[in-house]
Parts: sequence; structure tokens; C-alpha cells
Amino acid sequence: MLKINNLHASIEEKSILKGLNLEVKAGEVHAIMGPNGAGKSTMANVIAGKEEYEVTDGVIELNGEDISELAPEERAHNGVFLSFQYPVEIPGVSVTNFIKTAINETRKAKGLEDMPAKDMLKMIREKSELLEIDRKFLSRSLNEGFSGGEKKRNEIFQMAMLEPKLAILDETDSGLDIDALRIVANGVNKLKSKDNAVVVITHYQRLLDYIVPDFVHVLHDGKIVKTGDASLALELEAKGYDWIKKELV
Amino acid sequence: MELLKDKILSSYVAFENDININSDVHDIRTEALENFEKLGFPTKKLEAWKYTSLNSILKEDYSIFPNKCTAVELADVKKYFIHDIDTYKVVFIDGKYSPFLSETTHDTIDVCLMSAAFAKPKYKPVIEKYFNKVANQDNLTSLNTAFAKEGAYIHIPRNVEVEKPIQIINFSTCADITTMVQPRNLIVVEENAHVQIIERHQSLTSNAVLSNVVTEIFVDKSATVDVYKIQNDDINASLVDNTYINQKSNSVASVHTFSFGGNITRNNLNFYQNGEHIDSILKGVTIIEGKQHVDHHTLVDHIEPNCESHQDYKGIYDERSTGVFNGKVIVNKEAQKTNAYQQNNNVLVSDKATINAKPQLEIFADDVKCSHGCTIGQLDDDALFYMQQRGIPQKEGKGLLMFAFANTVLESVKIPEVKSRITKLIAEKLNVNIGFDL
Amino acid sequence: MSKYTEDDLELELKTKEYEYGFYTDIESETFAKGLNEDVVRAISKKKNEPEWMTEWRLEAFRVWEKMTEPDWANVKYPKPNFQEIAYYSAPKKKPKLNSLDEVDPDLLETFKKLGISIDEQKKLANVAVDIVMDSVSVATTFKKTLGEKGIIFMPISEAIQEHPELVKKYLGTVVPTTDNFYAALNSAVFSDGSFCYIPKGVKCPMELSTYFRINEGGTGQFERTLVVADKGSYVSYLEGCTAPQRDENQLHAAVVELIAMDDAEIKYSTVQNWFPGDENGKGGVFNFVTKRGLCETNAKISWTQVETGSAVTWKYPSCILKGNNSVGEFYSIAVTNHYQQADTGTKMIHLGKNTKSTIISKGISAGKSQNSYRGLVQINSRAENARNFSQCDSLLMGNACGAHTFPYIEVKNKSAQIEHEATTSKIGEDQLFYCNQRGIDTEKAIALIVNGFSKEVLNKLPMEFAVEAQKLLEISLEGSVG
Repeated sequence: MLKINNLHASIEEKSILKGLNLEVKAGEVHAIMGPNGAGKSTMANVIAGKEEYEVTDGVIELNGEDISELAPEERAHNGVFLSFQYPVEIPGVSVTNFIKTAINETRKAKGLEDMPAKDMLKMIREKSELLEIDRKFLSRSLNEGFSGGEKKRNEIFQMAMLEPKLAILDETDSGLDIDALRIVANGVNKLKSKDNAVVVITHYQRLLDYIVPDFVHVLHDGKIVKTGDASLALELEAKGYDWIKKELV
Repeated sequence: MELLKDKILSSYVAFENDININSDVHDIRTEALENFEKLGFPTKKLEAWKYTSLNSILKEDYSIFPNKCTAVELADVKKYFIHDIDTYKVVFIDGKYSPFLSETTHDTIDVCLMSAAFAKPKYKPVIEKYFNKVANQDNLTSLNTAFAKEGAYIHIPRNVEVEKPIQIINFSTCADITTMVQPRNLIVVEENAHVQIIERHQSLTSNAVLSNVVTEIFVDKSATVDVYKIQNDDINASLVDNTYINQKSNSVASVHTFSFGGNITRNNLNFYQNGEHIDSILKGVTIIEGKQHVDHHTLVDHIEPNCESHQDYKGIYDERSTGVFNGKVIVNKEAQKTNAYQQNNNVLVSDKATINAKPQLEIFADDVKCSHGCTIGQLDDDALFYMQQRGIPQKEGKGLLMFAFANTVLESVKIPEVKSRITKLIAEKLNVNIGFDL
Repeated sequence: MSKYTEDDLELELKTKEYEYGFYTDIESETFAKGLNEDVVRAISKKKNEPEWMTEWRLEAFRVWEKMTEPDWANVKYPKPNFQEIAYYSAPKKKPKLNSLDEVDPDLLETFKKLGISIDEQKKLANVAVDIVMDSVSVATTFKKTLGEKGIIFMPISEAIQEHPELVKKYLGTVVPTTDNFYAALNSAVFSDGSFCYIPKGVKCPMELSTYFRINEGGTGQFERTLVVADKGSYVSYLEGCTAPQRDENQLHAAVVELIAMDDAEIKYSTVQNWFPGDENGKGGVFNFVTKRGLCETNAKISWTQVETGSAVTWKYPSCILKGNNSVGEFYSIAVTNHYQQADTGTKMIHLGKNTKSTIISKGISAGKSQNSYRGLVQINSRAENARNFSQCDSLLMGNACGAHTFPYIEVKNKSAQIEHEATTSKIGEDQLFYCNQRGIDTEKAIALIVNGFSKEVLNKLPMEFAVEAQKLLEISLEGSVG
């Protein structure tokens, strides 16, 4: 599904990713862990195509197609979804209106007609129940005045609506209390299938109790320095990241 | 008004007798006089004077060149100084320098007189470079420029942090004539220097006085200037204060204006940001009563990127008094990443009091954060009830709330003695017993 | 991939063409250019007006002659030569219409192009429409339905004939002929407009609507609208404007007067899309409009406007809150692009006790345009417990435009509570990326964000208009990509 080869990326001439390799197959869950400043969020943003980052070397392939020259919305149309660490506020635009626009723009890109309102409503009802989202919440302005937990739940709700092939969850666990964490994780698990893949970026092991990864990667100084199974996450939790750093020297 | 204008124009010849007319400065004066002749006094027809009429005070037959009328004893006027700290002082009585009350210096810094600076060749380069370079050409500034002769001259060289504040005080004393004075101050603060200025105009007579002051302040790179204007004059004294501040990169300039006294007070406060990373701070408290009139007319011209401005003006108006706040923020096309904030809050205490506010934004750059807020209202009834419930009588409770309302502006005052003096003045104006000595 | 920058956006905006730029060839009868007392008399005669009306016009003309065009607004434009304008232009075959079938087919075609098919509106929207084209009312529908309720809704020229007592009583009482330069001009030369009277206690069962359109070249349009809502009545009134694309500037100087008597409510909504001029600032309509409403006790007047057109807009729909407990509202979206200039806002004059006013103004500037909010909130000394809340938000797109706020606040009563807030913002890169990531391209994202920014005002429009307004916002700001 996703194949990243020797990815180098920088922002304002500062090099952040320095030869990152990653392969994610359909049906898999990967966790990316690492200390602050390792380049975790940069990786997520570069895959999604954020303009500020300059890709200086390497390829990002999605289902065999190089997507590194595509606009962010084109990547989204191809099935890339990024759950933002800090979702932005868009005053006056309701959650419903926003997701409706997103779905129909994606359908338009695929040469499809707008989704009929009836189907849209049905889908919204289903997915909001799945994520235990109060219907009133959907008429509020996007992320405006949302609590941390509401913002993250809204991200997963959008993911559920857009049904991406590759979902990247950037620190989705931060700012969540335990109940919200459970709801979000359950949502992700229910959405998981053999046809899609999930990349979970997290600082802590906590989320991985709920979303069990097939692979855990440690990102350090712009590279993946260690890969293991779910047990690696526990080891990191116990020993901290210094252990990895020492091992590297 | 026309009479006064004629008198002023015709007295220019007499004025010229007294000064060196063979200088560049005099050319500037003559040009300014022509300008004033053309423009005349401002009237309400001018947008900038829509809410302030000078008609009532321009009827007076002012003496244009008052002689020093009365001798002033330090003991009589000590209370008008910030006297509990060591300061430099430049003091004028009826427009004439008072060496007796002053304390000037030429040690590293120059704190002295404009008349001396105009006269001595030593100061010529500074005068040529700065005099009348930031002041604009409007009616009353031109009038002042035409008669520019005396005032404070302050020059702080690079990297000097002036350890004590400088007080500029103008007394008016004439008991038998009404007087009009045109003080002209020039303050040049070079790179990375720091100075604090306290300015006051005080009439010691019950005769009408009109002060038309122009102060030019140049704040070079990384310099800091703090100005405190204390306006608590006699009820027959009126003031037009024209202050122009030119700031360069990384400089900080603040002006606090405390308007409690006087008949008509008009503050034209103008900031021009010629550089990046500049901070301009404009604050004011106005508490007036009777038929007093205070007009704050501010301008912050954001010319270059990455600068900030902060404005916070509070006003409390009792009896038949009138307050005006006209705050204009311009963000030029080049001035991206500007942060400009403006706040103006007012309380009307009496049914006969009036407030006119005109907070303006003119924005030509897109990546900026600008906001202004303006409120006119009363005191919080819930807070008042809360106080009454705890046994504080309504009158005292109201006073306390107003005191709290006005006092927030003082947080940014850096000289503790000024802060405590103003706090006391506010308490006095509001009839509040603050109960303890600050 | 290439980054979509603000420069790209600007480029797109430049290439956007005026959607309603066409000209329908309907034979018109036009007066020779120029203005003097004879022309004023001729207009009056043409309309077969009674003597009092002719005198009223002449008086206005004499006042106007002595006035000068105001220049305090934050707009720059070549002052029109008022002797180069034809002051009367009417479709020659003035139809006596009993039904829509009798309307000139060309004219109907025009309305179809405007997307305001009368038939459809009649069927679907339940809207009664009075259409003023080049100054003369062409068709008023729904007369019968309204007639049963005693509602008068007709061209003002007919009202002068059929209800002279009403017109005479109210015309010029809110906007006197001497009010300002353009109002005086309008009073002297207006050729038509709409008149509406809602009797006591009647809730008008449908939205009343007028479409204005300038068709003939070199003509000015001067409509006069008078809406009188008698005690306890209610009416919602819509006004739409379009003009074909033309090189020369066209003048539009309308006057709208609203009278809301005790306990009455008037909602007045405008979608203004006069031709804004081309991308180089050539042509376009000068829109100098005086709109004012008078509220008696417990009355309410609500102005909602979406202003996307005109080269120059000078317009301040205002409320005089004369009666106790009366309410004034002003909701405005003003979009300027290319070389457009808008100086618009409101006046809320609080005279009565417990009067309330709300001002929500959203200015969106793009291209090389200048967008100004100018407003006055005045609390008079007897207006106990007056309340005002004002919010003026500006959104800037690109770095060649300007946004300006000139609020005047004058308070003479201590019990007043006034709150004024203004903010300026741009569309954030973060917001665009977020939308992009969800598959929404930048152009659509901008439309979405602008609609969100304007939502508080769009929500105030009647349903049929809101959709059109939303579309107009997009057209005004979007490029033609995709």
C-alpha cells in the first residue's frame, strides 16, 4: 500500500527526515514512536503533502504510484487521510457541511455524482453512532471551541466518513481522557479492514493497548532506527528512549 | 477666532526681533507661519476636529509673549513635581526657562533648553537632523513651529541608560492677563539608550491659559522611551498636546496620558514605525467632571513588518463632561505580521455627560492581526450588589469599582512613584478612600 | 506539484468574468441627456402625475442644484457629469399586463438569464415580484392574492395615481428631499420604484420582491421605494439588482424609505450585483443609495444586504429608533474585488427608551479593491437603557487590497450599553491545508471558509435569497478552475 524509500525532507532549510524507509501493506497497523523532535509529525505532513516541507530526495508510493508530486487534495482523493495533531478551526463552517463538501469533492475527482442527501444522512447517522458522537455536535462550527477530545473524535469521525485507504493518526491520543481514548480506539478498530492500513504516530504506549500494532518502528533523528512487534512498544515504555539512543552510539 | 489669528500673525514680526532669523530653523518657522495663515485654527468642519470645538477658548485675547508674571517659590509648586525621587528637571514659567527650579545636565547626556540648542553651533547637527522632521503640517503644529523657540531639549547618546527620570514642567502664572504659550520639545534617544520622561503643564492662576505644545521624539534602534503625561491642570487652563514619535527597529516607546484636570484638553499622539520589531504602547486614563472636555486623538502608523501596537484607554465621565476617543491604526501594505490592538472602555456617570468614540482601522496588508474594541456602559450591577451585601455602601462601592476599572491601565507604569501618585489622584477624583497608603 | 499561492488566486480572480454581462435589446424610449427644471417637469408629465408631485420634484431639484456631491467617503471615482445622463428610459411598448404571458418574451428571457424565472418563482417560491427595468415597473405579480389581504404592492408611479393620499402622506418623511445630494437628485427625477403598504395587523403571507436592472446605456437609474407597515403588521421585502456589462460607468441613485408603525416589523433584504466593472476597473455601476427606516414604538426594522457588485458603493441603510422598545438590525456582507470600492455601513439613531440595535458587518476584500465599513451609533440623551452591539470583521485576500473600519459612536446617556468589536483576518495556510487534506481543493476551500466567515449574515436572508447570495459570493471571489 504505502512504500517510502530513502525519504529526505526539510523545512526552512533545516533537514528533518534523513533517509526514511517504511513499507505498509494493506490490512496492517504500524506504530511510529520516538522522542520529541524525531520527525514523527513531519513524516505525517510530508506524506499528506504539506507545502512548507521540501522533499529533497526519495519517493513516496501509494499502491505503486508516486504521489510525492501530487497536491494535498489529490493525495486525499487517492485515499490518504491524516488525523491532525492540532486540527484547525474554521469558523462558521459546520462539521456536517465540511464533511459533505469533502466527500463530494472526492467523488467529483473520481467522476462520481454528489452523494444523495439521503445516503449522506444515513452514513452520518451510522458513523456518529459508531463514535458515540452527539448529533448536536455535528451542527457546530468545525473545531471551534471544541475540547481536545472532541477535536480528536471529530477527526476519527471524518476518517470514518471518508473511508481512506491509508489513515495516519498523528498523536491522536494526546489530550484524550481514558474514556475518549477507548471510544476513538474502538472506532479505529471497527474501521480497520484487510483493504486499508493504519499508521499510528504516538509518543506513548497507552494507545497501543487499544490499537494493537503489527509493527512498531522507532523514529530517531529522521530515520527509522529500530523495528519490532508490539512488545517493542512495551520495552520503550519501560526503558524510555535514551536506551535506543545509547544503543545507536 | 479670527481676531486671535490676526493677533498671532501680526506678532510674528515682534517675535523675530528676539531670535536669530538667519538660520535654517527660521526658514522652517516662516514656512510654518504661512501654513498656519492659510489653514487658520481648526474647526468642527474638519473630520479630525468633529467632536472638539476650540471656539470657546479661542475667544480670549491671549497675550502671545507673556513676561514672567509672578515669582514662583519652590515650596508652592513642589507638589506638582514627582518630588520623592531624584530627577532631572526642565522647568518653564510662562514660557521662560527657570534655572532656579530646574536641574539640567550636560554630563554624557544633554538635558537642557531648546533656546540653547537653537543658538549654539555645537547642537546644530542634531537640530538640522531632527527638528521638525516628524511633526506634521497641521494647523496647530504649524502654529507652534512658527513660534518654536523654547522648550526642553533632551539628547541621549548610544547605550546610555539614564538612571533618573526627566521631568518637563511648564507653569503659568499671569494673574492679570490670559496667556498662550507654544512650548516646543525635542527628544532624541539614540541606539540602545533608555530614558523616562514625565511631562506636566500647570497653571498657578485662575486666568485662562492655552498651551499648544509640540514634542518630537526620535527613538533609534533598540532604544526605549517611556513618557508619562500628567494632565491635572486648573479648570481655566486648556491644552493641545501634539506628540510625534518616530521609532526605529527593535525600539519600544510608551506614552501614558493621565487626564484629570483642565478645561479643554486635546491630545494628538502620533506614532510612526520606521523599522521592524517595534512596539508602541499608548495608554490613558481620563476622569473628568463639570464641563471638562478631553479628546484623545491617536495614530499608529505601521509602516514596516513585524511590529506591534497596544492601545488601552479608559474614561470615566461625570456631570456635563465630554470625552472623545479617536484612535486610528494604519497598517501599510508592507507591514505584514503586524499585531495591532486597541481597546477603549468608557463609563458615563451622569446623564449629561457625553462620549464620542471613533476607533478606526485602515488595513492594507493581509497577514495581520488587528482588533479594536470599544465599550460604553455602566458599572457591573452584580459586582455592586455583591459589595453592598458585604456591607460596603453603594456610593463607596461605585467608587471602588470605578477605581478598579481605571487602575488596570497603571499596570504598565514603570516608575513606582508615578504609579502611586496617579493611583492617589484617581482615588481623589473618584472620592474613594483606598484605605492604605500606596 | 505547484503550490497554489495567493498570486494564483489573484490571477484567477482577474480572469473571472461577470456572469450577468449581456444586453437585451428591448426597444426603449429615452429622454435626451441633461437635467433642468423642464426635464423634471417632463418626467412628471410623462407619468401623468398630479400637480403636488410635480411641485415636490421641482422643490427637490432646486435644493439639489445648490448642493455639492459629498466626498467624505473612502472612495475615489471620476465624478459623474450629471448633464451627460439621460434621466428617463422606459421600454417603449409599455405593456398593460394582466398575466405573465403578456410580458415581452425578450424580457422574460432576460430574467431567465438572471436565474429569476418568474414562472418558477411564482410556482415554487411564492414570491410576489415587481420588476423595475431601466426605471419603469414592468410586471407585478400576485396582485390579487395580496389584494385580498388589503396589501398594496405596486409600482410607485401607479401608487401615485391610485393611492395619492398614502404616497403624499409618507413620501419623503424618512428621507427628506434635502437629506443629501443623491437623495435630492432621486427625489427630483425618480421614474419608478415600488410602493408597499401593509394594513394594520396584517402579516404579509409571502415575501415581496423587486428586481432592479439597468439596461439602456448612458442612463441613470433612480428608483424610489416606499414601504409602510401599519400597526402590528409584518412584511419581508427582497430587492435584487443586476446590470449588464458596459464600459462606461452607470449611475444608480436610489432612495428607500421604510416606516414601521407601532408593533410592526419590516425585514428588508438586498442582494446587490450591479456590474462591478471589468478587471481593469473600467465601467461598472456607481451605486449611491440612501436607505432609511423609521421605527415607532415596539417596531423592528432589519436590514440585510449582500453587496457583491458595483464599481463604487455608497450606502448606509439606517434605522431611526424613535419609538420606545424599538429594534434596529443591520447585517451586511460586502465583497470587493478588482478595482471595486465599497463604503458601506449603517446608522443607528437611538431616540426612544429601551431601544436596541445590532450591527454585524462582514467585509471581504480581494484584488485591488477597497472595502470600508462606516457606521454611526448615536444614543440621544433621552434614550434610556439603549443597547448596541456592533461587530465588524474584515477578511483580506491578497496584499493589494484594503479593509477599513470607521465606526462613530456618540453617547449622551449614561444608561447606554455599547459594545463595538472589530477584527481583521486572512485565510490561514493551516486552514487551506486541512481542507486540502480532506480532498477539498483550494478554490473550494476558500469558498467554504468565506461562507463560514459570512454565515451570521447569510443566515438572516430568506431561504430563496440565501442560496443565490451564497452563489454570488463564490462567483465574486472564485476563479474558473475545474
